[in-house]
Amino acid sequence: MIAIQECMKRHVFSIRASATIREAIQTLISHRIGLLPVVDDEMHPVGVVGLRDLLNLALPPVIHLLNDVDFIGNFGAVENFRPDPAVLERPVQTIMRPGTVVEASSGLLRSYALMLQHDLHDLPVVDAEHRLVGIASRVDIGTAILTSWVGEQAHG
Amino acid sequence: MVNALVSGGIFAVSLGLIFSEKINRTIVTMAGASLMILLGSLLGFYTEENALQSIDWDTLGLLLGMMILVAMLEPTGFFQYMAVRASKLSGGEPVRLFLLLGSVTTVLSMFLDNVTTVVLIAPVTVLICEVMGLPPAPFLMAEALLSNTGGVATLVGDPPNVLIGSAANLTFLDFILHATPVVLFAWAGAVILLRILFRAELRARPINAETIQALNPAEAITDRRAAVRILIVIGVAILLFFLHGLLHVSPALVALSSAAAALVLVRPPVDDILRRVEWSVLLFFGALFVMVGGLERAGVLNLLVSVLEGGAGLPAPVFGVLLIWVVALISAVVDNVPITIALIPVIQGLGQAGMNPNPLWWALAFGAGFGGNGTIIGSSANIVVAALSEKNRSPITSALWNRRGLPVMLLTCLIASLIYYLAYPWFAD
Repeated sequence: MIAIQECMKRHVFSIRASATIREAIQTLISHRIGLLPVVDDEMHPVGVVGLRDLLNLALPPVIHLLNDVDFIGNFGAVENFRPDPAVLERPVQTIMRPGTVVEASSGLLRSYALMLQHDLHDLPVVDAEHRLVGIASRVDIGTAILTSWVGEQAHG
Repeated sequence: MVNALVSGGIFAVSLGLIFSEKINRTIVTMAGASLMILLGSLLGFYTEENALQSIDWDTLGLLLGMMILVAMLEPTGFFQYMAVRASKLSGGEPVRLFLLLGSVTTVLSMFLDNVTTVVLIAPVTVLICEVMGLPPAPFLMAEALLSNTGGVATLVGDPPNVLIGSAANLTFLDFILHATPVVLFAWAGAVILLRILFRAELRARPINAETIQALNPAEAITDRRAAVRILIVIGVAILLFFLHGLLHVSPALVALSSAAAALVLVRPPVDDILRRVEWSVLLFFGALFVMVGGLERAGVLNLLVSVLEGGAGLPAPVFGVLLIWVVALISAVVDNVPITIALIPVIQGLGQAGMNPNPLWWALAFGAGFGGNGTIIGSSANIVVAALSEKNRSPITSALWNRRGLPVMLLTCLIASLIYYLAYPWFAD
């Protein structure tokens, strides 16, 4: 069995619950990433904040009540929605949600199944002491599984 | 006397709990009904048999049949289609959008469940307003208010009418002849009043009126074939409702057999459809019937009848108008279903005591129906639009409702009272 620690990124960006939402946004932009684990002083994950949580600040909530919005051909004034600037100064704590994490020894297919069921794009990884040690994307996990089927292909 | 106190106490505490909204109304009434049967059997004023007899199966059958039809129509996208079509037809002109969305909601509410209509049309309304850059509040409030108003027009339009029709043996045609004309005037009055009250909001120009051109109603329909078949069945059902008195079939049979016909024609995944049926509402009704049956057997309602008979000294038209307003004021602050279920045996009692019950049925229907417009919690449709608006930039507050909804209730009750008073012999017939 291949464990997730063999394909995860070890250099993981995270943020404190007391940091502002603006800081979280800046971290996501500067590293072009979609998910930030929120950690305490001992690097224990306490939640996550991601693109989805931030973009929901501008999306009309009613979108979530409709099965599809195909019939609206032009989002007009909604395209210009911006969250209230005061919201961006609130602590990350106010919008973070509980995140799913896996242990470093977790198998790849189990990790993938968790991502699928919880509709996650990135999965934070913790060690035996529940400290954040890495993060793996769907692509990281998926390609690692596929590699185990056909072996590493030499480039070009 | 003990019996009356015990059963009256159970009913009063249950109503209090329902109105406090601390516990779900279905849970409260099921507990209340169980208690009524248990204590009733112990004290000897109520038996399980009595309880079963006090359930109005016609009402439950009619509601269930209509719920199944609506549950089948919901996922086809028909309601969204109507909202999008109406919006596109408005050309982005706020007053026309207001009139068209209001009319669509009214017409659908005349034949289908008000809450479902509003639950499905209101989110589309909010989104269309948002993309156009218009405040959604006037449109949402008009939808709820006109849905409540439209519901009064027909036998199947809202639950109090279903209850009254079943108890008083009033046919669909009776409602078309007596309630619909009143609703037409009340509706026109409500639209004009809303147009005036919201004049400032409706004067606002949409920021992105061009988005209206990009609306595509056809995209809203997800299952055209099923929608067409269910609509045909509903059309035939409405036709049969008109004739049910002549054909000597109950409205419940019409509704349930129409539901069966739609199921046969569409053959949807039946478990999914049945999951959409509001079983909690049916249980709430059933449990209320059992509780009110207990009140009746314990003699509480007779006490009420003898008190009200004192009012029989009043001229009959005045008594009826008074009933409209008393029921409307109660319905404005509390659920109109328990009130209607409790007043039905009282009106029957007044009839047995020698009063003409016919005009009282209409007074009850107008009061229970129009009263719901009075406050933000007056009807389920009001609660739905208020909850929806809470999440956007122009929330509908209780204060706003008192300024815009309460006048609509007062005007519609006034119009109903006037017509009722002037055309009293027509309602007494």
